[in-house]
Amino acid sequence: MKILNCPLNGPRNISEFVYGGEVTEMPDPNACSDAEWADYVLMENNTAGVIREWWYHAATAYWFVAERNTVTDEVVRTYPAGALFKERVAFGPPTEEGGR
Amino acid sequence: MADASTIRPADRPRRSYLYRVLEAGGANFMEINGAAVASDFGGTAGDELATARGMAIADLSPLSRIGCKGSGALDWARAHGVTIGGSNNTAHLQPGGELAARLADTEVVVLDGLKGTGALPHRIETEWSLDGADGCYLVNRQGANFWFMATGAHAPEMFAKICAVDLRQAKFPAGAIAQTPVARTNCIVIRADLGGVPAWHLLGDSASAEYQWGCLADAMGEFGGRPVGIDALRRLGARPE
Repeated sequence: MKILNCPLNGPRNISEFVYGGEVTEMPDPNACSDAEWADYVLMENNTAGVIREWWYHAATAYWFVAERNTVTDEVVRTYPAGALFKERVAFGPPTEEGGR
Repeated sequence: MADASTIRPADRPRRSYLYRVLEAGGANFMEINGAAVASDFGGTAGDELATARGMAIADLSPLSRIGCKGSGALDWARAHGVTIGGSNNTAHLQPGGELAARLADTEVVVLDGLKGTGALPHRIETEWSLDGADGCYLVNRQGANFWFMATGAHAPEMFAKICAVDLRQAKFPAGAIAQTPVARTNCIVIRADLGGVPAWHLLGDSASAEYQWGCLADAMGEFGGRPVGIDALRRLGARPE
């Protein structure tokens, strides 16, 4: 059994976790093009090396960030999402020029 | 030991999620704070106490509990008289015998004591208001979670069969919390010894109450485990060793 270190709960079996995709920067949904938004939602960068990923500890409904080497499958470190995201994202109403 | 019970859970507005299972198992019931709680399973007080020291499970689901959640939850609860520890996944005993379990930077659960007065959870519920919430929101743990207790010297061996976290005394001291699957359903496990006898609170999805009770009963069978009522737990707690 693989072990993943949850920042809240400590080392736990990998079966307690759910993968949530790569951490990427969200474009402004009101300013970006449809192609940019589709790229953000649907496409993976498929980087070979250390990337940041969302992981979810199901028993505590806790999302956090893991840095994982996609070549060796080694998890370098894990930390709370608050280390990257300091402020709540405010979604404004859609504009004529932007998304819908 | 309680006299033969005349209290029927079906007649009470508050009763356990698995009262039918408890009745089928021979439970007698007592009224605590308006709720029907299994007091014993027909054995003598001495027998049930001995079982609780070795390996037993008890159902506390009818007792009061409440959760506070949100970015301001810990500050709000502290401001309203709840003692909360400085680190996550630790539980602190309150002056009235209640337990405050800090689950995260944003969440705490308050469990009533075995006296079952419900005073602290009730006070939290009545003192909270939307205007004064300040980032704290109440979570209906009463309706969301079953509440069992596992006791006895064999309990760590029993848990080892159904839970991946090491719950032995040396690894999981009094006040420690694990939020992890138990028998493949997510649970909150809290170490809270009773009078020197190792004991663990177990909270999980109320819809899985009967499933989890059955899993625990099956897992403890090889250690001579049996269900006990709240009488036995109170006697354990009243006898520090």
